[in-house]
Amino acid sequence: MEDPSSRTAHGGPPGQAARGGSYSGGPAAHGGPPGQAARGGSHSGGPAAHGGPPGQAARGGSHSGGPAAHGGPPGQAARGVSDSETDVTREIKTHFRVCRFIMESGVKLGMRSVPVATACELYHRFFECVSLRVYEPYLVAMSCVYLAGKVEEQHLRTRDILNVSHRYFHSGSAPLECDREFWELRDSVVQCELLILRQLDFHVSFRHPHKYLLHYLTSVKALVNRHAWTRTPVAETAWALLRDCYHGVMCIHHAPQHIAIATLYLALNSYGVEMPVGEREWWQVLCEDVTKEGINAVISDLLQLYDMEAKCV
Amino acid sequence: MDRDLLRQCLTHHGESLFNTLQCEQTENPDFQAVASDLAKATYERRGPGEGCSLVEQFIARKADILFCPTWRNAVPREDELEDEEATEPYAIMPPAELFMEVPFEERRAMLYRDLERGDAVVGRINNIREYGFFLTLLCAAGGLRRDIEDLELSALCHIKEIPSTGSHDDPLSYYQIGDLIRGGVKDLDRYQEKITVSLLPASLCPRFAHIKLGVVAREELPKHYSRGLRVANDTRETYERILRSCHGYHNPSVVEYLLGRAGVSDHRPPSLMRGLQSKHFHEEDFATVIRKKQSASWALKCVRSGVDLFKHGRHVEAMNEYNKALEIDTNNVEALVARGALYANKGGMMKAISDFELGLETCPDHRNAKKYLCQTLVERGKQLQGQEKFVTAEGLYRRALSLDDSYPEAQAALRRITDTIQKSIRLREEATAKETEKAKSGKTSAQKLRKILKDEKRMKKKRKRSSSSSSSSSSSSSERPSLSPTSTTSSSRRRSKKRRRKRGGSERGSPRHRRRSSKDDGSGRRKRSEEEEEEEYPAPPNTSASFLYRQGFLGLGAGRGEGGEEGGEEDEEEVVVDDRRISQLYSLSAASEDEGSEPLGGDGEGREGRRGRSFSSHGKGGRRRRSRRGSSSESSAAREQGKARRRSGEGRGRSSEGRRRSSEEGRSSEEGRGRGRSREEGRSSEDGRGRSREDGRRRSREEGRRRSREEGRRRSRGRSSEEGRSRGRSREEGRSRGRSSEEGRSSEEGRGRSSEEGRGRSREEGRGRSREEGKRRSRGRSSEEGRSRGSSREDGRRRSTDEGRRRRKASPSSLESQRSRKSTVAAEQPPACRRSSSGSLGQPAAAPPLVPAAPPLAPPPPAAPRRTSLEGGRSQSRPGKGAELRGGEGPRAPPPSTSTSSSNGQGGVARPPQPAGGGAGKKGLPANLMDIFNKIAKFEKEKGAGPRK
Repeated sequence: MEDPSSRTAHGGPPGQAARGGSYSGGPAAHGGPPGQAARGGSHSGGPAAHGGPPGQAARGGSHSGGPAAHGGPPGQAARGVSDSETDVTREIKTHFRVCRFIMESGVKLGMRSVPVATACELYHRFFECVSLRVYEPYLVAMSCVYLAGKVEEQHLRTRDILNVSHRYFHSGSAPLECDREFWELRDSVVQCELLILRQLDFHVSFRHPHKYLLHYLTSVKALVNRHAWTRTPVAETAWALLRDCYHGVMCIHHAPQHIAIATLYLALNSYGVEMPVGEREWWQVLCEDVTKEGINAVISDLLQLYDMEAKCV
Repeated sequence: MDRDLLRQCLTHHGESLFNTLQCEQTENPDFQAVASDLAKATYERRGPGEGCSLVEQFIARKADILFCPTWRNAVPREDELEDEEATEPYAIMPPAELFMEVPFEERRAMLYRDLERGDAVVGRINNIREYGFFLTLLCAAGGLRRDIEDLELSALCHIKEIPSTGSHDDPLSYYQIGDLIRGGVKDLDRYQEKITVSLLPASLCPRFAHIKLGVVAREELPKHYSRGLRVANDTRETYERILRSCHGYHNPSVVEYLLGRAGVSDHRPPSLMRGLQSKHFHEEDFATVIRKKQSASWALKCVRSGVDLFKHGRHVEAMNEYNKALEIDTNNVEALVARGALYANKGGMMKAISDFELGLETCPDHRNAKKYLCQTLVERGKQLQGQEKFVTAEGLYRRALSLDDSYPEAQAALRRITDTIQKSIRLREEATAKETEKAKSGKTSAQKLRKILKDEKRMKKKRKRSSSSSSSSSSSSSERPSLSPTSTTSSSRRRSKKRRRKRGGSERGSPRHRRRSSKDDGSGRRKRSEEEEEEEYPAPPNTSASFLYRQGFLGLGAGRGEGGEEGGEEDEEEVVVDDRRISQLYSLSAASEDEGSEPLGGDGEGREGRRGRSFSSHGKGGRRRRSRRGSSSESSAAREQGKARRRSGEGRGRSSEGRRRSSEEGRSSEEGRGRGRSREEGRSSEDGRGRSREDGRRRSREEGRRRSREEGRRRSRGRSSEEGRSRGRSREEGRSRGRSSEEGRSSEEGRGRSSEEGRGRSREEGRGRSREEGKRRSRGRSSEEGRSRGSSREDGRRRSTDEGRRRRKASPSSLESQRSRKSTVAAEQPPACRRSSSGSLGQPAAAPPLVPAAPPLAPPPPAAPRRTSLEGGRSQSRPGKGAELRGGEGPRAPPPSTSTSSSNGQGGVARPPQPAGGGAGKKGLPANLMDIFNKIAKFEKEKGAGPRK
C-alpha cells in the first residue's frame, strides 16, 4: 500500500527538500516505481524544484497548448510498468498532499472554508478527468485556489498565492523577488486557471455541504439540551471533519447532504451525544435519501483520510 | 482532557473504546491522568453495536484533539431572535422532532427537561380565573425550538404576573379565552410538571429582553411554529423541501452567518488533521506578512536603483524610483530618506523636511533620517533667516537641536539668530523712539484730506463693491476713522492667526517661539505705538516709495512661492492692527530704499528697471524674464520684471520681507481694511495684493502689472509719445488692473479700455503723472484716513490709479467724471499745499531715525554693490533694461527729470533725509535693518492692537 521510498522523500519533517520534491517531482514521485522516488527527491534539491522557470514554464506552455498535451509526455513512459494498485494509492497520496497544500495555503491566505472547499473540489474534478502525470498538481492547485477565490467572491491576489506557495515549498525562505521568475510563475498560474476552466467546461460553482451542515446543526441543537450542547464541541468537530474530508476525492463522490450528515453524525457519535429516537432517526429526517450505509461509507472514507495523513506527511 | 466529555463518550461507546483509548493514548499524559478515574466506571455499550470499531479507533486516535479543552473554543452567539424572525438570514426550520415523530412521552419529558426559566413561550388562554389565567402552550418563542403544541402543556399566569395598565380595572378583563399570549416562563416544576408564566418583562432571560410579552396576533407567531404547522398539515413536506423553500437558505452569506452564530472561527479553522492544527501555522507564513516583507524588499530595491540613478545625476529617474518605492511600500523609511535627500538637494527644503519627519516617525532611530533632517532644518533655517523670518528659522534650529543637541551648526545658527533678533529689536526701538519725535503739524489739514478721501472712497465702494463687509468697514471707517480700522484688522488678524495655526503643523515649535518672542517685544512696542498715536503723520514719502510696496508685494509673492507657508504665517501673524503707524515706519525705510536706488538709475524708472532686472537674475525669475523679454510689449516686459523681481524676492529675502510686510500694512490700511480682510477671507476678487496671499502667482501678475504701470508712467515721462502711449497703456493697464482688482472686474476689460485710453491719454498722463505723483506723495503723507505714511504712499499710488480710472471713466459717465475730477482736484490740491508745508516737515523727521549719517541721495554706485549683497543680484541684469529705458526716455527726458525731480523735488526737502535713511538702512546698517523695520512694523501692529482692544 505504501511506498517506503516515497515516504522517505515526503514523510520526513516538513522540510524544504521534501516539499520541493513533492512539488517539482510531482508526477515522477508518485507515478514511477519505488525506485524512482529517489529521482523525485533529487529533483527537489535543484533550483527548478519549486516550479522554477524552466520546469514550470514548460508545463505552463503545455497547459496552454490544451488537449494536445494529454498524450502523455515521452519521459514518463517508463512508469506505466508499475501495477495499477500502487498507482492508485500514489495518486491518492499525491492528491492528499496537494489538498493539504491547498488547505494550508487557504488558511495562510485567509480564505474562508467554502472557497477552500471549492478550490479542493476544482482540483479533484480537474484530476478526475485528467491524468496526474500530465499536469503539475501543485500548479493546478495554485490555480484552483485562485479560481476558487473568484468563484466564491473572495478574490485573492496571485502575488499572495505565489508568495504563500513559495514559502510552503521553501519554508523560511525570503519572499520572491519581483523579477522575471515571479512573472513567469504568475503567468503559469493564470494560464493554468484557463486550462482548468476549459477542462471543467466552466462548471466551477458547486454545492457544498457547508450550508447543509450548518442548518442541520441548528436543527439538531434544538433537539439536545442546551447545556449539554454547549458542553460538547459538536459544531467544531463537525466543521473540522467537513473541512478535512476535502483532502480526498470523497468530497466529490458523495452528495453534499450525505457528507454533511455523516460529519455531523460522526461528531455527535464521537462525543456520545444521545439523540431522541422517534419513528425516524434524526439523520433520516434531514435528508430523504440518506441511509445508514451511506453515512457509514462517508465516514469510512473520511477516516481513511485520517489514516492517509499518517502515511503521507 | 475534558473528563466529563470523555466519560460521556465512553458511556456511549462502552468498554471497547476505553481499551482502544488506552492503546492509542499511552503516550498522552493527559489521558493517563484521567484514565484511572475513567477506568473505575464500567461502561456498557449503548450505541449501535457493530461497525464501530473504525469510529472507535478514530476517536481513540484523535482523543487528544477531540477532548482537548481548547478544542471547544467556539463561543456560540446568543440568538438574535428579533432580527432573525424578521429577516431570516438562514432557514428557520420547524423542529426536527416533528419529522422524527418522537413519541409523546419522550417529547414531554424532553420539554420538561430542557425548558428553562426565562424562556419565552406562546400559549392560548383556555381558562380565566380570578387569580389568573391558564394557557395551553403552543410553541416556544425563544430559547428552545420544540414542537410542543400537542403536548397538552398547561401553564398558569398568575394575576400578579400581569402588568397592570394603571387603571383600576381588573387586569384580567383585557384577556379573553382564545387569546394568544406570549409570556416568559417564570417557574418550572419538573416533578409536578407545572409551568408558571409571567407577562412581566423581568421574567425573561436578558437575551430575550427584546421580546414583547402579552397578546400576540397569529401572524406574529414564530416562524418555526408556522412552518411546523405546514408540515403537520401536509405529510409530503420534508425537511429538505422546506429548507430549500426558505429564503434564508439562499442567502449567499448564510455560511458565514451560521458559522458565526455557532462560534466557529473560519480564519483559524478547526481540523482534526495533525498537520492542520492552528499551532503549526506560523504568523510569518501568512500572506499578509509575506506581502509586507516582500513589499519592503521590493521598495528597497527601488530605492537602491534610485540611489544609483541619483549618483549618476539622473535626478528625475531617481525621484521616480523613490516614488515607486513609496507606492510599493508607503512609509518605507529608506525611500523617504532618499527622497528627502533628493528634495533637499533640489532645494525643496520643506518637502525634504516633511519626508525626513515622516521617516523618523516610522523609524525614530533612523540615523540618516535624523542627520539629514538636522542638516536640512539648519539649511532651511538659513534660508528663512535670509528672508528675515527669524522666528521661524529659530524654531527650525531648535527642532534640529532637539533631534541632535550636539549639532554644532545648529547651535551656532541658533546663537546667531538670537543675537540678530535681539539686535533688531534694539534697533527698532531706537528707530521708533526717533519716530516719535516727528513733526506734528498739518494734522488738521491731514484730517480734512483724509476725510475727503474717505468719502470719495466710500462712494467708490458703494458703487463698485458688492461685498458688504468691505463697504461696512469703509463706511464705518469714514465715520470713526481711528477705531474701525483697528477693529477690522484685528479681527482679520485673529482669523489669520487661526489659519496660521492650522497651517503651522509643518514646523514644530516654531510657532511657539514666534509667539514667545513677540510677547517679549509686546510691551515695548505697545508703548511706542501709543506714542505714535498722538503723533502727526510724517510727510508723504516720495512717490518712489510706492515702489517699495510693490516690491514688498513681490517679495511677499516670492516668499509665498518658496517658503510660502512660513512666509504666510509670519505675515499673517504680523499683519498689523494699526497699519498706519507701522507703515509710517516702513514708508521711511521704503522711501529711503527707493532713493538709494534712484540715483543709480538716474530716474525713477532706472531704479525700477534695475531692480526688476537684477532680481530677474535670480533663479527662475531671471530665466523666465529673459526668455519672455523678447516679447515686444513693454508692459509685458515690465510685468516680467515684476515677476522676476518678485521671484527674486525669495533670494532677497530680508528686504522683500520688510517690504512685503509694509506693503501688506499699506495695503490693508489703504484699502479701507475691508480689503485686507477680504484677503483673509480667501476672497480672491478685489485686491491683487490681497489675493496674492492666497495666490502668489496671480498676485505676481498683478504686481507685475502694477509695476509695469508704474514704470510705464515713469518712463513715459521722458519718452516719445508713441512709447509713451504704449507705456501709458501699460500704465493704464496697470491702473485698470489695479482698479479691476479693486472692483473685482476682469483684467481683460481693464486692459482693453486702458489701451484705448492710454493712447489718448499718454499725453495727459505725462502731465498727470507728475501731478499724480505729487498727489500721491502728498496724499500719502497727509491722507486722513488714518493711513500710515507707508500705506499712504501705497494709497497715493492707488489713488492715482483710481484717478486714472476715474478720468478714464469720465467719458462713459459724466457724473463720475465730475466726481472724479473733483476728487482729483481735491486730491491734487492738498498735495500742493501740503507738500510744501508738511512734506518738508514730515520727511526730515522721518529720515533721521533711520540713519542720520547717510548723505542725502545716497550715491548710486556704492548702493549697487550693497544691494547685491543685500538683495541678491538685483543689479545684475540691469544694464539691458537700463538701456531700454534710457532709449525710451531719450525723447522724453524732460518729463522724467521733472517728474522725478518734481516728485523728488516735492520731497526735495524731505527727500534727502529719507534717502539718507534708506541708503543708510540699506548700506550703512546691517543687512537686516530692513528686517528690523519689518519686525518693528509687526510689533507696532501688535502693540497698536493691544491698547485698542
